[in-house]
Amino acid sequence: MKQKITQRSAWDRILAKLNKRSLWMLHYCTGCGAIELPPTMTARFDMERFGIVPMVTPRQADILLITGYLSIKTLKRIILSYEQMQAPKWVVGFGSCTINGGMYWNSYTTIKRLDMYLPVEIYIAGCMPRPEAIIQSFDTLINRIDKGVANSWKDYYTNYDFYRKNQEKVFGEIETYNDIKSDAEKFGIK
Amino acid sequence: MEYQAENAVIEDIKSIFKNAEYKIKSERRVEVKLSSDEIIDFAYKMQKDWDFPHLSAISCVDWIDDNEFELVYHFWSYNRKVIVSAKVRIPREDEPHYTSISHLWQPAKFFERDIHEMFGIVFDGNDDMEKFILTEWKGEPPMRKDFITREYALNHFHFKDYHPDWLKELENAGEQK
Repeated sequence: MKQKITQRSAWDRILAKLNKRSLWMLHYCTGCGAIELPPTMTARFDMERFGIVPMVTPRQADILLITGYLSIKTLKRIILSYEQMQAPKWVVGFGSCTINGGMYWNSYTTIKRLDMYLPVEIYIAGCMPRPEAIIQSFDTLINRIDKGVANSWKDYYTNYDFYRKNQEKVFGEIETYNDIKSDAEKFGIK
Repeated sequence: MEYQAENAVIEDIKSIFKNAEYKIKSERRVEVKLSSDEIIDFAYKMQKDWDFPHLSAISCVDWIDDNEFELVYHFWSYNRKVIVSAKVRIPREDEPHYTSISHLWQPAKFFERDIHEMFGIVFDGNDDMEKFILTEWKGEPPMRKDFITREYALNHFHFKDYHPDWLKELENAGEQK
C-alpha cells in the first residue's frame, strides 16, 4: 500500500529524525504480556539500541504499550495516563486481547477493541508476541515517525467525541483532568 | 485411631448443635451443615471455645435449581490442624439479607463485601457494603448463575470483523502474484 506523504517543512523532518531515536516507553503493564518485556529490555534483545527506554512517568513518555487484556478498571487508568502524555505520543496494542478480546472475548469486565477508546498506532498480533515481534513493531514505528505518517495521536483530538462516547458507554460519567479541545487548538488540529 | 482430631472436633460440635449434619471429607477436613439461624452461635463457639482462631474464607455457591444460595465458612485451627467448612443455605432472592460475622472476625468484612458484589447478598451488621473489586460495575451481580456472561459481552462491547473486505482484497492480490 502506498502511504500518502504530506509536504513537511525542514524543521518537521529534523524533529522526526530526533524523535525517532529517543522514544521513551511508559512503564505501565497490564495483563500477562508484561512478561515479554524483560527480555526485550535486557541484553538479549536490548531495545535501548533503538533509543527506547522504560520511563516511569506518563508526562515524559512517548509510547504507551498496552501489554495484554484491559479490564474496565484498568482502561480508566490507561485513559488518564494517556491524556497526561505529551504529544506526539503513540499507543501500541500488544497481543490479541487488545485487537479483539483474545481469549477473554466473552468476559464481562474486559474491553475487546482498544481502538474504540484510544487511537492505536500499531497492533502486534499473537498470544504472546515474542520479543522479536515487539522489536519489529518498534522498528516499524520508527520508520513511520521518520516518514511522518505516524499521526494516529492526532486522531484523538479530531475525533474526540467518538472516543469520549465509547468511553462513557463503558464507565458512565467520567472525570477528565485534561481539556482536550483546547489542547487541539494548541497543536493546530481541528 | 484414624481421624482422631477430626472426630474430636465433631464431638465438640455435636454437644451443642444437635441438628447439624457432619461429614469427614478427608484428612483434616470436616464438613458441617447448619440451619441458617445458627451461624453466629456457631462462629462464636468456634472462636471462643473450640480453638479455631482463623477464618480462612467465606465462599458462596449459587444453587439455582434449588433456588438457594449456599454460604461456606472455612475455619482453621492451628493447634487442632483441622479445617471446618460450615455450610448454610439461604433462600435465593434478588437481594437476600443475612447476618454478618464481622464483629467476630475483622477479615469477614472483606469476604462479605466480595460476596455482596458478586452475588448480591446483603450482610446486616457489616457497615461497609461498598464496591470492592468491580468499582466500575453497574450491572447485576456477575457470579450469579442467571447472569449470562457471553450475552452481556456481546451486547456491551464492540467486536472486530475477523474477515473484513479489505483483508480479502489483500489476500486476492497476494494470490495473483
